[in-house]
Amino acid sequence: MSRIVTPLWWVLVAAGVVVAPFYLDGIWLQDGLFAMAAAIGAIGLNLLTGATGQLSMGHAFFLAVGAFGYVYFASAPSGDGELDGLGLPTPLAAVLAVLLAGVAGGLFSPIAGRLKGAYLGIATLALIFIGHFAMSNATPVTGGHNGRPVPPMELFGFAFTDTPEPLVIAGVPFGALERLWFLGVVLLVGAGLFARGVLRGRPGRAMNTIRDHEIAAGVMGVPVTRYRAGVFVLSSMYGGLAGVLIALVFRQTVPDYFGLILALSYLAMIIIGGLGSVAGAVIGAFFVSMLPSLFTRYSDALPLVAPTGQEGIGAAEAAQILYGLAVVVVVLFLPGGLFGLFTKARLRLARRSAPAAPVKHALTPTPETRN
Amino acid sequence: MRIPRSTRGLAAAAVLALAVTACASEKATGGGGSGAAASADGVKTGPGVTADAITIGMITDLTGPYASFGKSLTNAQQLYFEQVNQAGGICGRKLESIVRDHGYDVQKAVAAYTEIGPKSVALAHVVGSPMVNAVKQRIETDQMLTIPQAWATHLLGSKPIQVTGTTYDIDMINGVEYLVKEKGVKSGDSIGHLYFEGDYGETALNGSKFAADKLGLKLVEQKIKATDQDMTAQVAAFKKAGVKAILVSVGPRQTASLVGVALAGGMKVPFLGSNSAYSPQLLPTPAGPALLAAFEYVTAGAPMSSDLPAIKKLGEDYKAKYPGDAVDSGVSAGYTAAGIVVDALKKACEGKDLTRAGVVAAHRGQNAWGEQYGGVMDFTVFDKPASLRSYVVKPDKEALGGAVVVKEPFTADIVKDYQVPSGG
Repeated sequence: MSRIVTPLWWVLVAAGVVVAPFYLDGIWLQDGLFAMAAAIGAIGLNLLTGATGQLSMGHAFFLAVGAFGYVYFASAPSGDGELDGLGLPTPLAAVLAVLLAGVAGGLFSPIAGRLKGAYLGIATLALIFIGHFAMSNATPVTGGHNGRPVPPMELFGFAFTDTPEPLVIAGVPFGALERLWFLGVVLLVGAGLFARGVLRGRPGRAMNTIRDHEIAAGVMGVPVTRYRAGVFVLSSMYGGLAGVLIALVFRQTVPDYFGLILALSYLAMIIIGGLGSVAGAVIGAFFVSMLPSLFTRYSDALPLVAPTGQEGIGAAEAAQILYGLAVVVVVLFLPGGLFGLFTKARLRLARRSAPAAPVKHALTPTPETRN
Repeated sequence: MRIPRSTRGLAAAAVLALAVTACASEKATGGGGSGAAASADGVKTGPGVTADAITIGMITDLTGPYASFGKSLTNAQQLYFEQVNQAGGICGRKLESIVRDHGYDVQKAVAAYTEIGPKSVALAHVVGSPMVNAVKQRIETDQMLTIPQAWATHLLGSKPIQVTGTTYDIDMINGVEYLVKEKGVKSGDSIGHLYFEGDYGETALNGSKFAADKLGLKLVEQKIKATDQDMTAQVAAFKKAGVKAILVSVGPRQTASLVGVALAGGMKVPFLGSNSAYSPQLLPTPAGPALLAAFEYVTAGAPMSSDLPAIKKLGEDYKAKYPGDAVDSGVSAGYTAAGIVVDALKKACEGKDLTRAGVVAAHRGQNAWGEQYGGVMDFTVFDKPASLRSYVVKPDKEALGGAVVVKEPFTADIVKDYQVPSGG
């Protein structure tokens, strides 16, 4: 049964993804792109927090490193000497920006390797404030408070931008968002497959053992400190990649965006989606980053809600209330997150048709072992 | 059962074919691109203009720190559009508005622009200079007339973006001269300046530095973050430096803390704020009496209590339409901004060109706008502020909008030597 259903399911998803930019409005594509970037970042955070049990509140910092790194490497220095840049080819700049985020994570790894759980969370909190200070004051690199324009990505002569004349495919003009959509999909699939490989292999088992029982991991010969530091570097590189994609979608880097709220919303994503798995991170990222804007756009269709800008409970307020409610419901009633719900439903289906297969190896933490 | 490889290949091919034949999509324009067209009445139209409606966007803050300001702006602009519609609309078309809230979040502002930008001919207001900045490039590409509700100098220098009235630095130069001429500050004295990091505070600081230098004053700077709430340390620093007056370019909450703490500590100096430092909501708070006693602020827009007939009428109309809402500076600011957009549209209609570029060009052709609102603005240059004249205003419990005029609009003598830095 599942042998037919699973590939069919994937074909459908792939078809949807390819067709989407031909039908969806810019706003949907943009929301989707923000969600894809968030999903890449959330996968990285899930490796660290979900799989290894290390709490990080500084994820937004690595996103910022990726975003500003890309802009700095790819921009040509401005004529008046106000803004510096290296003017490198954009794909190289993107790779370097991801590596830079990794280096930033590496510099922090002496701390990340030694601290665990909530203690690491507090230590990483410092990164947010250091990052904010650096972004506001390193004006030649970051453009200061106002940020600076992001040079569009250019791959083999193909530019991800609106101008010049839009490319037209099947009668649909392909602007920056439509083009970036495909880049985002490729990056997300690549990031997801890589993380899945890490989680299902030897390193994944080691990480989960560290999360569930640190001493046992040490006794079995897992170098705990080195693993913790390594996962931290990997997760910061994921953050850097997400940052590059966000910068490309924004087209202007804005320092205020990379604050504490962003870091907390990444934690919300992995908890709501499901700790410890790639799919959980992706589902959570889409849920958290798309729900508020969906509510804002459509809540005026609900009873008792006035269109934005008129008397009564506005759509914006209603969106916040509904979003908050959704988060509470998920955390209260779905301990395994949204992904846990899917797995449960699938197990129930499978049990009806065939005897349950033995559970091989738990990727997601049980409530007892969660930090 | 396994699916044969050929079946899978066929499925993939079908998917691709489906994608390519997406001609049924609403997005398909056949490659027209620019979208400019002439309608039946011979008026050239573009995005946001149909045969019977003109759509104007507003990107505002209804849930964030400037929620009350954003609400007043939105209400006032909708009032204006309604009045225009009652008088027959523009070019035979009704005005419609679409409002989106960003809650002072840059990502939401960018999303809002992506959503309503393609449907609008102009943006009657965008709250917050970081938000304007984030979409500045696209505003320039789209040639979308935009009125930001922020007065930092880096917003200058962009053709479709119209900063209303003065910028914060001009206000501060006028304000410092006012302190010297009328508040007994003498050459050689020290004055303090409390400001936010970021473009609001830094624009204001440029002005106060210039004025202090010209008038032989010593400037004592104190920079704070928007999240700082308690100004005790800053008051102590100003006290130690022996300042004779304090300039205030922060948010209303910080202003209340500063003035309240200083007066409680026996500092009897005048306080002079930027227009964003005060809100009438402060008056019922414990800091109210202190503000009434020692605080004034500098602004280009006439306060709601002004005797100007246009403002008086606005006050009455607004109260009739929104009886439950507080009247603050957002009402006149929003109404004036709506007036700028509507007048640009009317001019563009006379020129039979209601495309976005046509509206911007019509707007830039006006050099003396807004006499009825108490401040004449010149829109023909965009690398300089539209006006150099500021009012001095002080809080008043009884007055509509919580403030009354102390000094009619004036321009300091030293302003003519000042080089406005523009964002380019």
